[in-house]
Amino acid sequence: MSASLAPECSEAKERYDTCFINWYSEKYLRGQTKPSKECEELFEIYKTCLNKALKEKGIYDMIEEARKTGPEIRATSKR
Amino acid sequence: MVKFFETNFSYDYQWPAVTLAYFLRYPNPYSTHVVSSDTLSSFVNPETGNLHITRLHLKRGKLPASVARFIPKIKESYILERSVIDARNQRMCTESRNLDWEGVLSVVENQEYVPAADPARTDVKTIVKFESRLGHRKREEEKRGFFQGWGTSGVRASLEVVGRSRMRDGLMKSREGMKLVLEQLRERGFVGV
Repeated sequence: MSASLAPECSEAKERYDTCFINWYSEKYLRGQTKPSKECEELFEIYKTCLNKALKEKGIYDMIEEARKTGPEIRATSKR
Repeated sequence: MVKFFETNFSYDYQWPAVTLAYFLRYPNPYSTHVVSSDTLSSFVNPETGNLHITRLHLKRGKLPASVARFIPKIKESYILERSVIDARNQRMCTESRNLDWEGVLSVVENQEYVPAADPARTDVKTIVKFESRLGHRKREEEKRGFFQGWGTSGVRASLEVVGRSRMRDGLMKSREGMKLVLEQLRERGFVGV
């Protein structure tokens, strides 16, 4: 697994990543495409840690702004 | 938006494996410049079943001299990566943009992953574009603005000199990295769905 930008979040990230990859490969790709709460709790822990680090680095606002202003990308079913 | 570069490629693996490799592609020996990767959000749209993921990568490395001229002192850049996976229709669209030139100019890479005519393979189309934030405003504002005199075209011309070969190298490396991750997945028994 890749490292986190914030070393102190790496453990929380790894737990979340493992959960996500399992859910993605075992469930989502196999047709269970409904929203799932499976990794939500692990993500909240990871996100809390990460957001704190992003704010400390002073890049939180820049990222939030970029997320808002970029064009929406969508996967359409047109083939 | 100015289209700059377009290329097509096929992976010798099925679509589900390629999308999984996309999320697992860092770290790999071809991506030593990628310092970190973090997930900012991940959710499934209840209506479409599409999975939306936003990630933040930190990449280290000097910019090409011609670009550094405009944006000096950057030795690392944050990349915002957004992807949408439509598992029902087997389609994945990704967008990566560098955040450091935000407000001036962004290089945006879009990829589309779909099963090839031979379903054992996956086609990837990559398009790289320039996007100028200035271009989103009214022309009058742009003319009076701080960036008068070196707009998109100036930077674009400089980038084009060295940009294309670097971009090819970069894409080549990212493919090799993906292939390694795909090989590992195959060895671990992930063969698709």
